[in-house]
Amino acid sequence: MHEMGVADSILQAVDKELLRYPGRRAVKVSVKIGNLAGVDRESLHFCFDSMVKGTTWEPLELDVQPAAGDELDFSALELEEI
Amino acid sequence: MRVALEGRVLSENDRVAARLREGLMESGTLSLNFIGSPGAGKTAFLEKTLELLPHDLRIALLTGDIQTENDAIRLAKYGFPVKQICTGGACHLDARMVEKHVADWPLAELDLLLIENIGNLVCPTSYDLGEDGKVVILSVAEGEDKPLKYPGIFRKAELMILTKTDLLPYVPFQLEMAKQYARAVNPLIEIVETSATTGAGFGQWLAWLASRMETKRECCDSAIAEVRKVMAC
Repeated sequence: MHEMGVADSILQAVDKELLRYPGRRAVKVSVKIGNLAGVDRESLHFCFDSMVKGTTWEPLELDVQPAAGDELDFSALELEEI
Repeated sequence: MRVALEGRVLSENDRVAARLREGLMESGTLSLNFIGSPGAGKTAFLEKTLELLPHDLRIALLTGDIQTENDAIRLAKYGFPVKQICTGGACHLDARMVEKHVADWPLAELDLLLIENIGNLVCPTSYDLGEDGKVVILSVAEGEDKPLKYPGIFRKAELMILTKTDLLPYVPFQLEMAKQYARAVNPLIEIVETSATTGAGFGQWLAWLASRMETKRECCDSAIAEVRKVMAC
């Protein structure tokens, strides 16, 4: 239910990180989500894709990696030259 | 090019929650976050609590809902300051909403801050509100397997309040199973059975609350003494 807020937090973190890499754009952001984090992966993908589609974030993809407990952490960001 | 990205996804919320927690630590104010389904009896439980607590205790309450001021109106009858947080659609309270709503309250003068979250067993679990503990509210009018269906909140809560126990003769709720399920998810969870209608169990709950408030104060006093000692050096 709060996946939209989670997707928004992920995109904000991506924007912040991109400031350190001028001339590059983000193509994939990886996050680790535990089974007890209370985040539905499919719903998060749906929200994330809806927020990215038709914006300057395209072609950013979300990659969800399994984790333990209630972990809800960033993992990695893939960048490419524009 | 792949770079490591560190930190928690909800780190912005965590940052605000840490600031709130620090403020409450300085004042020794105990803060509790009440989470339960819609209709679990959160407001009725808090109403009965306010009715029974000494009136000179310095308490403030925040109550969250999607819409309406109804709960704040109910809770305001007991003479303590209450603020309604209307989220307008958001399914949980976050630390920023709490910080905004307590901004003009003198936190340092409070003994107790009670926060009634949005009726929801899922989303509120993920958002730290700077509280000292989460209390999960489960009514006997629900299914006894709620702790298994929504393990996140039962795992994070330190206390489970069973409400509406006066209805037990009329509902198929299996009390012992509910407790067993809660302990299977969280072996350390404490459980109090209550009825806001008859007042049953409120003595035990208020004793828990008093002991928790005392622990917080002692903890803060010794932390403050420690800081003063360091500063004096």
